[in-house]
Parts: sequence; C-alpha cells; structure tokens
Amino acid sequence: MAELSNLTGLAPDQSGETDSTVSTASNRSLRLAEKEKKKGEADPFGLAVKYLSRVEAGTVVRGNDELERSLVVVETVALSNGLHPDVIAVLLDLALSLNAGTANCTRVLKFLIPATVVPQEAIVRGVSWLCAGKMPMNAQVFFVRWVLTVFDLIDCKDHLRSIYGFIFSFVTEENLCPFICHLLYLLTMREHVHAYRVRKLLDIQAKMGRQPFLTQLLALYKVFRPDLVTVSVPSRVRTGFKNYNAPWKVALSAVQRKNKGAVLVDQSLSLDVKEKPLSRKRKLHHLEIPPLSSVFDSNAKRKVFGLQELRSFKQLLENIDNIELPAQMGSLLGSALSLHYLDCVQDESAFLRLNFWLGHSLQEEFLLCPVDGSSDNTSEACRFLSTILSSQQFLQEGFSSTESFLYKFLSVWDGCLLRPQILDLLSDIPLMPSFYMRKLLFEPLKQLYFSSTVFFKCSVIECLNNMLVKWLTWHSVSVVKGGLDISLNSNSTMAMTLSGFMDSVMELVRFVGLLASEGLRLENCHVLLLNQTLAFYETVCDMFLKFSLPLIIMLPAGVFYPALFATDSVSVDRLGYIMYRYRKNLTLAKRQEKQREQTFHISRNTYKEFNRNLQAMVNSMWNSSWCLPGSDLEVDKDLIALSKVAEPWCCFDLIHHPALFSYAIEFHQKCWPERKDVDLGSIKAGKYWNWYMEFLFNQGFDGLNNFIQTNTGHSSSSLSSRDDRQPTSQP
Amino acid sequence: MTRCRILHSADVCDFGRKYSQRASIDYVSCLVAWHYGKAGSSNRLPVFRLWFLFIMEGRGSAVNTPARRPVTRRSKSYGRSCVEAPSYFWQTPGHLTVLRVPTSRGAAKSQIITDKVDPEHIALLVKNEWKLCYVTPLHGFRHTQLKSYSKHLSAFMVAEKQRGVAVEVGLEVGFTVTFTALLGMAETEEDAETVFIQIQSKPVFAAAGDAPKVVWRGWLTCVNGDPEYLRSLPPDFVSLPLFCTSGPESLTALVKSWFERAFDCNFGSLGLNSTTLNWLAALWTGCHPTSNIRYLKLAWRMPTQPPLDVSYTVNPQDAWGLWNSIHPEESTEDRIEIKDVQSFMNGLETHFFRHFKMYLSAGTLLKVSTALGSVHLDGKIKIGNSEYITTLLTLLTECALLKMPT
Repeated sequence: MAELSNLTGLAPDQSGETDSTVSTASNRSLRLAEKEKKKGEADPFGLAVKYLSRVEAGTVVRGNDELERSLVVVETVALSNGLHPDVIAVLLDLALSLNAGTANCTRVLKFLIPATVVPQEAIVRGVSWLCAGKMPMNAQVFFVRWVLTVFDLIDCKDHLRSIYGFIFSFVTEENLCPFICHLLYLLTMREHVHAYRVRKLLDIQAKMGRQPFLTQLLALYKVFRPDLVTVSVPSRVRTGFKNYNAPWKVALSAVQRKNKGAVLVDQSLSLDVKEKPLSRKRKLHHLEIPPLSSVFDSNAKRKVFGLQELRSFKQLLENIDNIELPAQMGSLLGSALSLHYLDCVQDESAFLRLNFWLGHSLQEEFLLCPVDGSSDNTSEACRFLSTILSSQQFLQEGFSSTESFLYKFLSVWDGCLLRPQILDLLSDIPLMPSFYMRKLLFEPLKQLYFSSTVFFKCSVIECLNNMLVKWLTWHSVSVVKGGLDISLNSNSTMAMTLSGFMDSVMELVRFVGLLASEGLRLENCHVLLLNQTLAFYETVCDMFLKFSLPLIIMLPAGVFYPALFATDSVSVDRLGYIMYRYRKNLTLAKRQEKQREQTFHISRNTYKEFNRNLQAMVNSMWNSSWCLPGSDLEVDKDLIALSKVAEPWCCFDLIHHPALFSYAIEFHQKCWPERKDVDLGSIKAGKYWNWYMEFLFNQGFDGLNNFIQTNTGHSSSSLSSRDDRQPTSQP
Repeated sequence: MTRCRILHSADVCDFGRKYSQRASIDYVSCLVAWHYGKAGSSNRLPVFRLWFLFIMEGRGSAVNTPARRPVTRRSKSYGRSCVEAPSYFWQTPGHLTVLRVPTSRGAAKSQIITDKVDPEHIALLVKNEWKLCYVTPLHGFRHTQLKSYSKHLSAFMVAEKQRGVAVEVGLEVGFTVTFTALLGMAETEEDAETVFIQIQSKPVFAAAGDAPKVVWRGWLTCVNGDPEYLRSLPPDFVSLPLFCTSGPESLTALVKSWFERAFDCNFGSLGLNSTTLNWLAALWTGCHPTSNIRYLKLAWRMPTQPPLDVSYTVNPQDAWGLWNSIHPEESTEDRIEIKDVQSFMNGLETHFFRHFKMYLSAGTLLKVSTALGSVHLDGKIKIGNSEYITTLLTLLTECALLKMPT
C-alpha cells in the first residue's frame, strides 16, 4: 500500500507532521504503523476525507488506487448519510480545482449530497474557480446545476449576493446562460437591478431570441424596477425554469428523509410515523395523517407547548398542563407521545374532532369511493388502518368512528379486502347490548362466514376470540376498580348492568358456538378451524376463574364431539385441557355458591351438560364404552355391527384413539422391540398401563394429563359426588 | 294525434341501428298535456287512472317524518359504543349516517328572499355554476372573526403559492380574500349564517389601473339543517355542511386545506343521487303557476354500448299538468310524498316509452334543469331564480348532512 502511493509520486508532503499520511508510514516504526492502520479501520471515512483534502495539483489520477479508494469511501457515505458542511467545502474545492482530474470533477459533484446545509463560502469559492476559467464547459454547467439544486440548503446567502456581478458576467456564456439566469433569479434583490444589466439581458435576448429564462429574469427585474425595464413583458409568463435537480433528486430526498427520521426517532417511541410517499400523486389526501401543528390563532400570552415541540416523555409530563391541542386532532395518531397525551385529554370536542376526521377518512376511502383495486391504493389504505390499529392498541380502546364505520362496512365487505386489518379492528369493538350486536355484527358476519373459505372462517373465530378476551379483561379491570355494576365508561351516558354484560357475552359465545358447529360440519372438521374453535373455548371455560365473570357456558356438541374424535392429538389434548378448566371453574362456583348464598346462580343445566360431556369423554377414552344408552352418543347396535369393526367400544380409548394410535404403536415397539405382531391390548395389562400413561404425558399432553388426573381417583373433588359414573383407575 | 318532434339527427328508427359514436336523443315533448287531459274519460290510458286511486290512498297516509331520536355526544368519544340508544343509524340500512332520509317534504314556496337578505348578496349566488362539497362541522369558527380569516387565508395562499421553487412568481402573487356573512339566509334558529368567500387577484404585470379580478368564489351554508343534529353538536362547533365552489381546482384545494387546518374539518365531494334529482324535478314543476319554469329538461344516460344520452324536454305547462294530476294544487296539506314524486317521474318515463319503446328507468338520470335552476348528478348546481333558493338549499343541506361521518 505504502509503496504504491510512493510509486505514484504522491508524497511531496514530508513536513513531519505527527498525523498520518499513509505514504509516510513506511519510515515509522512498525508499531506506529499498526496503530495507524487500526485507526484507519476505525474511521476510513475520516481518513479518506483527510487524504482528499491533501490532493494537490498535478496529482496523477490514472491508476491512483489511493484516490480511487478514498473517493469510493466518501461516495458511499455521501449517498447513504449525506455529507457534513465542512466535507462539502473540501470536496467542492477538490472537484472544481480539477486537482483530481476533470473526470473526477463531475463524479464528485454527483455525490455531493449535503446532510444538513451547504456553507455559502464553499459556493463562493466555487464561483471563483468558475471565474478562473479552467473548467471545461460541461463541468461548469454541472456545478451551476448543483448550486441550483442545493440552493435552499445554503446556510446564508449574503456573500453570494455580494458577488452578484461576477455571477452575472456568465450570462454571456451560451451554455451556462439558462442556469445562470435561474441562479440570478433566485438571488436578485432590488439593488441588483441596474440599467446596464437590463441592457445586457436585452442584448442577449436579441441574440438568442425570447428564451423563457431570459424573459423570466427580465420580468423579475421589472417587478423590482419597472422604470428600467421598458419592454413589455407578458403578464403571464410560463414557468421559465426547468428543474435541474435530476442527478441528485433521489439521493437528496432519501438522505433528507433519513435524517429527518433520525430526529423523529425519539418522538415516535413505538409507532412508526407514516412517511409521506414522495412519488405518489393523489387527488384525495384523506388517508394522510396530518402533521402536528399548532392552532393559528393561539394566544401568545399564555405559555403553551405545541405537541410538535415535545421530544421526550419527560417533557410531556412536565408540561402536561400547558399543552395545547393541535390544529388537527387527527395528527395525534402520528406519534406515540401525542397518544400518551390523547389518553389524558378530557375535552369532549377534541374527541368529536378526532372522530369526525377519522370517520370522514374511513368513509371517503371505503364507503364513498370504493378502492379501485390498484395496489398503490391498497397499500396506502393498509398503512392507514395499521396506524389506527396500533393507536387503538396503544390506548386499549377502539375509536367510536372506527366502530360505526365497521358496522357499515361489514355489510358491503367482500371479506377479502384488507382482511387482517379489518378483522383486527373488529376485535377492538367495545361491548354493546346484545340486541345491537345481533343486528350490526352477527348478521353480516354470518353471511361472510358461511360464504368464505375455511381460512376466513378461522380468522373470524380468532377475531371473535380476541374480542371476547378484550371484553373480559375490561370487565375484570372494572370489577377490581369497584362494584359489580360496571358502566361502560365513567363519563358515558350508557351504563351497562352486569346482567346486560353477561347477556352480551352469552350472545357472543352462543354465536361462535353456532358458527363453529356449522363451520366444522361444512369443512369436514378442518384441523385449523377446530383448533381456532378450541382456542375460543379455552377463553370461555375460564371466564369465572380468570376474569371473575360469574358465567359458565359449555361448549356445544357440534364442537365437543369433533374435538373428542379428532384425528390429531393436539385437538384432543386441548379438549382435555378445556374440560379440566371447566371442572375447576364449576367446582369453585359451587363452593362460592355454598359459602355466600346467592351471589350468582349457575343453572343446573350447565352442570348437567358438563357431566354429560365428561361422562362421554371418560367413557370413550378410559372405560372403552363410548356407546352408552341414554347419552348423546347412542348408536344402534345393528348399525355398528354393519361396520364390521371388531370391538367398536375400544375404538376411542387412550390406546386406539386415532389421534393417539401412533403413540401406542411407538410405546409397544419400545416395550417389546422383538415382537413381530403388534398386540396393543397387552398395554392394558398391569404396570404397562401406568408406563403408557407416563409415556403419553411425557409427549407433552398436559391437557390430557390434567384431565385424567382430576377425573380419576387420584384427586378428590367436590364434584365427584355428582358424577354418577366416575372412571375407575384401571380398565 | 301523436306529435313528436325530434330535434337531433337521431331518428326513432335509429334505435335499432348500431351507433358508431355516443348517441344522443333530444326529445321535446308536447304530449303530456294531451294524455292527462284525456285521462279521465278515455280508457286508453289506464295507467293514469290507476295513479289517481293510488294518490287517493296515499293522501290519507301522509304523515310527517317520524321524529328522529336525539343524538347525544359523549364526552370520551373513543372507547364508548356508538350504538347507544339514541343513535339508531341502522334504521336506514346501507345509509351512512344517523339521519333518516325524509319521505315527504313541504312544497316549494316562493319567497321574496331579497326582503330578508341583501339583494347584492343574493346576486352573488345566482347564475354561477357551483360545485358541491360536504364539510364536517367547523371547530372554533366564529362569524365575528371573518376579517381575520380573510387576512389569514390570503397570507396562507401566498405562502402556499410560493412554496418550493420560487419560479412561480409572476402568477397571482397578490390575493385579496374577502369573507362575507350573507345574513338572512338561515331559516331556523339552529342554522348558522351563510359565509361567502371571494378571492381576487391582481396579476403582477397588470397595468396600474386594472381592477383586481375575481378568481374564485365559494360559500358555506346551512339552510333548514336537521335541528336535532345541529343541537347535538357542542357549542364550539359550527355546522355549515354545504360548501359550494366556483373557480380553479387548485384554489379550491388551497381553501379547503386552509379550512382543514384552521377549523379541523374535512371536505368530501357531494355527489347527488337520482332521488334528489327526482325531488327537484317535482318541486320545481310545482312552482310553475307562480313562477314560470319555462321548461323542464331532463337528461338520462342509458347503459348501452356506447352509452346513449337522452335529453328530454317537457313543455312546462304539460309538466305542471301532469304534476297537478298527481298532486292537486288545492290539496290543503302542503306536503309532498315521495310516492307522488315517483309517480310523476313514472308518468314522464311512460310517455317516453310510448314513443321510443325505451325504459328510461333503466338508465341514470343525470341532470334536471328548469329556469329556476339546474342540478347535475355529480354535484354541480346552478341557481336560476332566487325566489326558490331556500327549497334547493334545504334539499342540498340535507344531502350534505347525510354524508356526515358518525
């Protein structure tokens, strides 16, 4: 490396400075060189810039790897993060001095992307290089175009204005003229307009014809000094300047967006603020979350904080009393900090504003202007709904305009458009009286459910499960807060009694029971659907213990039996767990009922239903006698005989159950590896049975384990007396 | 004695042919008078007689719109249910709001509006074509602040115009915005007063003596808005649901975005439906005795390939005759039922069918116009006569309120 640099004759700089040019490294100690190398690895960018700042006139460019490497390093950083103002100055000097060759001049200009601002001194120096007249024409043009692009980023323009005359002198250059005119247009102040300049421009106009850029500049001159420009300028000049920012546009906007994002990172704690797509041109902007901004006539007397000024949660806490609501309430959804604030807002009008905005956006997008199916629209709508969703999850409440939107949308929804988002929103719907639930929610949902694929059915059940969990959680919180009579909200005009709440929950569970039973029948007991359904009943069976809602609803036969006779072991295990939890809940309910009389009453029917299910399950799995007269599952003996299955009563015991069969075979092989003919019956004998149980439970069937443990002789429970047919511990 | 004058090149026999371009029929009817005139004695027109029976029954059951239950706004609007007992929005299935679509309304009454409102102000509204929008309630709008709004809006417009590259200088830099309250347009206590906005501009290179040109006009209004809806809003909201604009789209967009920022409201375009057009056709026709409507022009688009435009012009006297046969003038109750309106439209369509064997009801009614005004399905209106302005604005206010998000 060092030799190569030396070969290129690059190192006239031997002044013995302590800092490092790599070329001097050869005559240092090895250790130092090592250190330098490390340092270089740590900050290749710093080194590259340092190197580039030292490139002097006459440097060999062709084959200069050092130069090339440095340029590449700087280029990468520039395109990804933008460049510091000082680096801009260095590079601009390097490029325009042509020290690195003419080819590199345009190359450097191309990646000269400012991270923040451009120092005006750099531009002034650039203009002085322009005046030196060494640069080829295309480089000159390129430089002026770059200045036009970054014009808004130049930190201060007074020095630039003071060399107005120098810049003006370039209008005579035919190629530069359009760009120089544009630059002048941006710089011109009243004092710059002089008669001789006007004359010059008119001269050029006479030569070049009425070029739009000349007309535009003259028009501006006329605005400042109508007395000097006597020629008539058309009152409506067409836009005379084109945008010349093409080579930098993409990189510049990317860098700016990125840097802006870095500033916003703290503000948007968890939510991602939606970036405004730049390329998109849409007439309707209702899906944009408006930016935070303060009300325009806020009185300056009181010290108030705009939400957009807040940077941290601490700041929010300190100023919480002085915070002013933004001009557009919708903008609160843009950042997590403002959502924190929204949670504290008590102003009725503020929520009404928010709901008007949200309702309007949703209505315009989904109800009044149906989405035309183009992916752009959908992705935007998807983003919008996701923002609402995350806000609602953050607040742990649904917005009422989302709710009323959903009621309307459900009746026109195809069940396909943005399904995950819509179903998630649906699960945020707050509790409502059962009568409305049926009309607004269940009717349209039922239609969609029965006319859609099994996967849609699964998502509907999942969604309703989430909804139920949210309602129950809410209930359990409000019970803790005080009183059994919950009101939907402390400020709400509608209070719901406990019985009303129970009615709604019952209605929901009943509805899911119906969907699930019919769905399982239609879909041939699809495994996924069965599992979603069982997940729902895992919530239902624990309502009393987990959420202290004195309500126990059994699962319908249409769910119970498909699960009991399922061919996959997971479903059977889940059913075991559910039955185990039911038992726990019922036992507790029974005990409480005895202790404090009449806090609530669980109907005899529930117990009866539970016992019937329990009986069926224990009989089929444990007692090998599933087909009992008088139970749900009575099948005519002759009919069974027709199937020609030997020992049909054994078919669903723990060994022969289709879901557990493979485990029994595996167990058999492990016990008697030498046996050729498999006799599963031998598992039932003596100690093998206990081993088999242990083997099964070691496979992770905790649900079955719990179920069997509580329902066989091992545990004593208050309920056992009610079961007329307790399973015996051995078959 | 069927007289049928075809104005356009399209002949009756053309219907069977293939149209190479979008076809159109302009048909001027002089016949309706003849039909209804004979309706009593001739048995050739049983349809009309059936109507009479129909109407007789309908008259007895004429009831006012059932009172809508009040909408109460809850304080913490998120996290509460929108199905609280009063809102009942499912009562109008498929409709987007808690408000109900009325099935009957008062007949259009002539009103010398200039007694109430400054004639100059009225003149601003007449003769222009207006594009309709709906606006959600304005938060913090005060009629006393109109002067400062003028200043703010003009400053905003200049700022917006100059944003970005400063190449646009030279085009309408100077804007003068004037907000005017058109006092007297409001009909009830709850209606907020109409606000008229005018934007004038003076081109930079205009001669010194040039008067500034009006480049944009718009107004926000509420006439006979549903009182219960309006009362349900908290006091810091002002509901001016109907926004009419006339001028370049870019300026409309600027004004809208200023309003959205200043009053946290939202705009949506207000398309009308055919029921509204039918109502207007009937209401305007009913005005004929007091104010000459000169013509009743209806435009349909038939769903053929290519689409066939039908323009149907009815002699005002004939139209009124038909209307009068359905809804006799002497009827004491001054309410019109939607059934009457449908019968009226059916009558017109049946007449057309007799000549052209084409069911107009299969197409879309695009436009209704008389000398009193014109209304287009896509939400464009023209006000021809100030006397009946209230009727029109009541109807449009209602349409706008129906679009309010709940």
